[in-house]
Amino acid sequence: MAEENAPMQQSHGPSSGGMRSSGPGGGPGGPGGGRPGGPAKRGKRNFVRKKKVCRFCVDKADFIDYKKAEILAPFIQERGKILPRRMTGTCSRHQRWLTVAIKRAQNIALLPFAAEL
Amino acid sequence: MEERQYDLIFICRPDTPEADVDKVVATLESTATEKGAKIESVAKWGRKRMAYRVQKLHEGYFVYMVIKTTHGEVVKELERRLKVADPVIKYLTVRLDEELKRQEKLKRHRERRAARRPRKTVAAPAAPVAPIAPPSEQSAPTA
Repeated sequence: MAEENAPMQQSHGPSSGGMRSSGPGGGPGGPGGGRPGGPAKRGKRNFVRKKKVCRFCVDKADFIDYKKAEILAPFIQERGKILPRRMTGTCSRHQRWLTVAIKRAQNIALLPFAAEL
Repeated sequence: MEERQYDLIFICRPDTPEADVDKVVATLESTATEKGAKIESVAKWGRKRMAYRVQKLHEGYFVYMVIKTTHGEVVKELERRLKVADPVIKYLTVRLDEELKRQEKLKRHRERRAARRPRKTVAAPAAPVAPIAPPSEQSAPTA
């Protein structure tokens, strides 16, 4: 978990204080286009972070169906935990609906509470 | 009291013959109609793998039904029936009418906004055009 968090938090940011003046200029919206949290091609300390968007907002979802386990599955860890918003980029409203949907799906054995051994 | 809508899912043992599943559905239907509820639809999802083990079983026969009623007590009775029924290993009832109402509301809201938008989008492109003009300064220094 800790390893996954580090790149997201842009922990390298402060250390590259001098580099930053050139960094952001070409960074946001510029080329490179790394994966979210992934490093850019040029400098090893430049992180081009793509803004995470709520998938449900993109789909204009007014209702998250607990019966569609395949939709909910990307939002849980392999061990069965619900992923936090900071990992998935879900907006607060949809995260609220999502947790309810996931918990319902767990109750009827469509999603696991915890991974089996 | 206004009408409520419920989702009812139950899981039978995977080895139950179809006839027994039908029997469970039939008893639920009769109790529902007896108590003044209406079963909107019954869908058999069939044998599916469950996400975790229930009563030492990995698979189950899923049945999904939608119930509409004005009396909430019907649910209690239906759940009691499910608890008693032998082939049933798991069930879940979810009240959905409020969420569906919210969905309707959001949808209407969105449609109204979409209907209103054309005027806005005509105005919107006008605004970005102006800011785009200043970047011509960039070309000015080079020239």
